[in-house]
Amino acid sequence: MIDFLIVLFGLAMIYIAGTSRIEAYVRALFLQGLLLFVLVLLDHGIMRVPNLVFLSFETLVIKAIVIPLFLIRIIHKNEIERELQPYVPNFYARLVASLIFGLGFYAAYWSIGKAPELRPLYFGTSVSTIVLGLLVIVTRRKIITHVIGFMLMENGIFLMALSIAKEMPFIVALGVLLDLFVAIYLFGMFIGKIHDFDPEIKVDTLTLLKDSDK
Amino acid sequence: MTAIILLMPLVLSILVFIRKSRSFGGWCNVAYAGTLLAASVCLYVKPGSFTVYFRTDEVSILFLLILAVLYLGVSLYNTEYIRHKNGESAGRHALYAVHLLLFAASMVAVILSTHLGLLWVFVEATTLSSAYLIYFNRTEAALEAAWKYIFICSVGIALAFVGIIFLSMGLGHSDSLFFDDLYKNAKNINPFWLKLALSFILIGFGTKVGFAPVHAWLPDAHSESPSPVSALLSGTLLNAALLGVIRVSTLLKLAGLEGYVSQLLLLMGFLSLFVSAVFVIRIENYKRMLAYSSIENMGIIAIGLGIGGPGVFAAMLHLTAHSLIKASLFLTSGTVEHCYGSKMISEVRGLLHRDKITGWLWMLSFVAIAGIPPFPLFFSEFFIARTLFANGSIVYAVIFFLLLTIVLAAMARAVLGMCFGENRSAEKNAVPSEILTWLPQTVFLVLLFLMAALPDGLCRILQNAAAGL
Repeated sequence: MIDFLIVLFGLAMIYIAGTSRIEAYVRALFLQGLLLFVLVLLDHGIMRVPNLVFLSFETLVIKAIVIPLFLIRIIHKNEIERELQPYVPNFYARLVASLIFGLGFYAAYWSIGKAPELRPLYFGTSVSTIVLGLLVIVTRRKIITHVIGFMLMENGIFLMALSIAKEMPFIVALGVLLDLFVAIYLFGMFIGKIHDFDPEIKVDTLTLLKDSDK
Repeated sequence: MTAIILLMPLVLSILVFIRKSRSFGGWCNVAYAGTLLAASVCLYVKPGSFTVYFRTDEVSILFLLILAVLYLGVSLYNTEYIRHKNGESAGRHALYAVHLLLFAASMVAVILSTHLGLLWVFVEATTLSSAYLIYFNRTEAALEAAWKYIFICSVGIALAFVGIIFLSMGLGHSDSLFFDDLYKNAKNINPFWLKLALSFILIGFGTKVGFAPVHAWLPDAHSESPSPVSALLSGTLLNAALLGVIRVSTLLKLAGLEGYVSQLLLLMGFLSLFVSAVFVIRIENYKRMLAYSSIENMGIIAIGLGIGGPGVFAAMLHLTAHSLIKASLFLTSGTVEHCYGSKMISEVRGLLHRDKITGWLWMLSFVAIAGIPPFPLFFSEFFIARTLFANGSIVYAVIFFLLLTIVLAAMARAVLGMCFGENRSAEKNAVPSEILTWLPQTVFLVLLFLMAALPDGLCRILQNAAAGL
């Protein structure tokens, strides 16, 4: 069951790697939040009750509901174009994503020789998710997709932390602090339109600050 | 004592929020800085702790003293800076003062942390509390700088967290991330995870230290933030993040992976030197020039730590001196910017003619950063080069000198051009003559002069710190 959920979590990454609809990204975030919630419940080991309640709240309410809803509102409010023009064509992006997963699992099974306590499915999926999140950040043009990329990466980190939750439950709780950054980004983008900050800005235009290239 | 310096800023922040006055916020910062300095001196004499999570040891006391001295000078300068800063509402000034207090407090907490997870949390807190400070001038460029800063650093911090997870995976039967326990168990930690953890933590915290190639936020943030904030970013924040790197590399050294650590540190150090040498050649903005110089100096410190032995002592000396000089340079650059209304090197001419004090401060600070004797950077760079020669890495030493010379030449051209020449620009603003606009820098420079003699007390602090690594 747990394995199945993790595979689903990874599939969500491959799905969005090759799509250019921004709603698809939000849907993937929702799905991943939900999966993480179920994983927390199924695989928490001997976690204490307050910690469990906190993590369930974080995954179910914050990750799966509040953040996606907020993103949708930002998209509507700022009239962000739904279609993204990626730097890399979609077909290749999906190919690369699959390749990264392949490498992630290869790395996981390779490291098992050196670290027998490793759980390869968890490790492979989370490492690949982190790398893919970084890839989304560097290959998409809009600020809002950068933020989504950061969240995907963060989900991967959460999954990785869950794999050692049995021994060190507080690590998972620490990881939740990364959501503070997300909160700041979303807040910034939400009030941004009122001031002078536009989440639809393409990062290509963030070139005010640079050293001369004469 | 430790409890006071950790909790006082929280109380002061509430007071500033209640009494939204421009000067009150500034003086609250001075009050905290003064207390911090007094407390650090007491803690140096008699180490203290607050719960199991915060404690001073021989390494952290050095960082704490640097932070306290710098913060006091910067907050005094800051009272004048905000007095000249018109057109901002009292609420904004209150927010600025509160963020400054929290920024300093989170750096204190980073330095005093005895737990890796906690250290990580407070490094994140430094990012969150300083983002507003960078955005304080509310220009489009400041917004872009703040966004880049928070985004790049958050990705870095996320990667550092991955490193911490890797470290936890390798712990085996123990499950404590207290540095003491980690150091005691160093030999039992799985070396595979340990190496992986160091790589990620070095990249992650290295982002905040400003190591190349993950330094992209640094020139933007340093050049767009208000000068007192630039001084704190460069003089104290980089050190605090470096402490995280140092703590983890100590762990690897104890685990017998010294070679691996020093390879990575040397790589990042030389890369930082190279990047700053490349970019500083055609620099047009003097605050960006200072930012690249910070990258360069952090690179030198990484090299010192990487080569080990006497290099570690040199790195600590370099760290102390660089903080004082860079704070002095950034504060003076604030006065220059105020006088000329521009950050462009080409717009600033005849600084010595325009204002003697500012001009001389700018010149002397440059002489200090250039590593000309008797300033302490000369000794630290000399020690590092000598250790490189002693280790037989002649090629490294040659590259080291070459890159240093390039940076020095580029900076000399810019600084001399600014100091001399004819004052072409129209009078923008009157030169601020208040004592607090030049006293902090003067004190920093005097301290540097005194440091050059390497008095016993300082030597002992540095040696203890180097021995503790």
